[in-house]
Order: sequence, then C-alpha cells, then structure tokens
Amino acid sequence: MTVPDDQLDAAFAALADPTRRAIVNRLARGDATVNELAAPFDMTLPGISKHLKVLERCGLISRSRHAQFRPCHLERGPLDSAVTWIEENRRIWTERFDKLDQHLRDIQGATDHE
Amino acid sequence: MSDELVYTRIFDAPRELVFRCMIDPQHLTHFWGPHGVHTPIENIIVDPRPGGVFQTIMVNDADGAEYPSKGVFIEVVEPERLVWIEDDINMTTTSTFTDLGGSRTEVRIHQTNVPAAFRSPEAQAGFKSSLDRCAAYLAEVLAGNTR
Repeated sequence: MTVPDDQLDAAFAALADPTRRAIVNRLARGDATVNELAAPFDMTLPGISKHLKVLERCGLISRSRHAQFRPCHLERGPLDSAVTWIEENRRIWTERFDKLDQHLRDIQGATDHE
Repeated sequence: MSDELVYTRIFDAPRELVFRCMIDPQHLTHFWGPHGVHTPIENIIVDPRPGGVFQTIMVNDADGAEYPSKGVFIEVVEPERLVWIEDDINMTTTSTFTDLGGSRTEVRIHQTNVPAAFRSPEAQAGFKSSLDRCAAYLAEVLAGNTR
C-alpha cells in the first residue's frame, strides 16, 4: 500500500485535463506518433506537443530518443500505483461488508427469530 | 468533493446490532479481515468514545504477515455514527448507520483525506466524480493496455 506521493500528485494533475486523458486512452491501445495522436483532435501539432510534454514530465509517457518519428509510449507505473491503492481499499470494504452480512445472518439465526 | 471514497451496503439486521458489530471485538473478529486475512480477537482494541483507540492487526492466512492499523475515534454517537481518524495516513472514516425500518440498516462508509497523492488541488479540479470512479476509469484504460 506504499504510494510514491510526488509522482502520483503529478500524474493526477496531468490527468485533470480531458485532452490528456484522451491521449492516455489512445496510448493504452499502443504506441503512437504525435501526428497519430493529433488526428482525432481539432488541435495544432504544437498544441498536442504541449500536452505530451506535461505527460512526459510526470512520467506517464515516454518518447523514443532514437526512432525517427519518436513514438509515444504509455508508462503504467504511476497509474498502476493509484489504481492499486484505491482498488485495494474498495476490495477490503466490499469483503468486510460481505462477511458482516454473513455474520449478522449467523448471529440472528442462532439467537432469535430470523 | 473528489478526495473521498464512499461505500454503502444494506443489511438485514436492526441498527443497534449492526452498530454493535462495528465496535465490539467479539463481532469484529468475524468480519474485519477481507478474504485471505483474519483479525484475531486478542489484537483488537476498541475504546468507543472520542479520543479512544480503534486498533486492529489483520493477519495474512497464507504467510502470517501482519497489517496493523490504528485509529482514534473523533465521534461516537450510538447507534448512528462513528468517526475515526487513522494516525499514519490521516485518513478520516465516517460510518453512518441508517434505520430503514423492518429491521434493515444502511451502512455508509465515507472516507476523506485519503492519502496526499489523491488530493492535490489539481486532481480535485479534474476529477469531479469520486476517486472510486476515477480508479475504475484508470483500471479500464490500463486493462486495455495489457490485452
């Protein structure tokens, strides 16, 4: 349950923007070049590049240094730690509730009517 | 309102009993640990009054690893409301017990001040929905990346 706070802060801040979330969504399906990423948006290449820089700075994406078109790649680390922590917390409460439900059935069945 | 987690469940039991389950080690030991983990009664300390401790040690069934957790009660209103704060991470958990009639009780767990990473002002501005939904969204995105 250890969370690298700084990295997550930056990642969540970066994801606060809908365009950047859409870019992350697209990259989740595979690497893409800046041109490919810009295509669905009504936005100039420099505009998209600005968003990519924000995502790159917080470690959410990386860009190949040597390939000619420098495709963007989604780095899962920062997202994974956020999701893991929240999912774990939700799982604990869900299972606690399941067990409490069973426990209440047990004790009520044992002591009185229903 | 985005730095929060909310979990709700309805139980077929009277409110007094459900409330008692949350503060009595005899009951807590039966349900506090999620699957694969148990919470021995001898490691549960509950002092249900403001300033009193709420301490548990969950133990992993498989390898015996221990997960201690210590909270301090801020508010105890029997049988309606319990509020405790966890020292180490400063997360506040509010449990609200609502009598729905007919021996049914709704329990609502509301957690705020979830760890710092999840509550930067930027994150709050961006995620109007609960963190829970945000996590579900991110999990979907990530799932798409693995398959």
